[in-house]
Amino acid sequence: MVDLPPVPAPEDPEAALAAVVALRRLAARLETEAVTEAVEQGWTWAQIGEALGISAQAAHKKLAAEVRARRGR
Amino acid sequence: MGLMTAIRDIRTIKRLLTGAETEARAAGEAVPGPEHLLLSAAELPDGTAGRALAAVDTDVAALRAAVTAVHDDALTGLGLDAGPAPALAAPATGPLRTSPQAQQVFQRAVELSRSATPAGLRGAHVVAAAAELERGTAARALRRLGIERDQVLAAARVEGGVPA
Repeated sequence: MVDLPPVPAPEDPEAALAAVVALRRLAARLETEAVTEAVEQGWTWAQIGEALGISAQAAHKKLAAEVRARRGR
Repeated sequence: MGLMTAIRDIRTIKRLLTGAETEARAAGEAVPGPEHLLLSAAELPDGTAGRALAAVDTDVAALRAAVTAVHDDALTGLGLDAGPAPALAAPATGPLRTSPQAQQVFQRAVELSRSATPAGLRGAHVVAAAAELERGTAARALRRLGIERDQVLAAARVEGGVPA
């Protein structure tokens, strides 16, 4: 049994939707960090796309510039 | 609209949108929302947005911190502590994309500027347009600062020379 974190009460949709917004931002951040690490480890864009459930082209288009900038720091 | 006003508006729009993009990317977001337009407006050189915010006892730094806090609070409510979001590292390229709500705020600000005296788009029109939004991050940030949207709206209309 997994202990889920406390979620905003369903009778407060505004708080629940604010949580969705914050989680979306967090997911985007996690995706960028994880893909940057995968590229560091030599993953191809095809492998990254496969792991994310999107095409290699979509993964590259979405994240390549940011990954390149982070690796070039 | 006079030619000089039109030229000034183009400069204002460029500054406003570029500033909103910078605010969003500094917060790790690729697509600016109303909160980023609001922050960008507050730093426009016409000074009207800054004065409207000062009239409700706040400023751009407090507002920026409140926007961050809104997201942090939402994650804390889920038992998550993610720490500060890093800025995007890549330079912005291609045409600027904004959220539908940011587009709505921009269009409404332009509409308000048409009834303004003197003529021309100013930061206060963006503040007024953003304050009209009842929901979303910008509205929550204002609420977090203890500011009523109506107060901001009234102050921004005065500063922007928009009839009530």
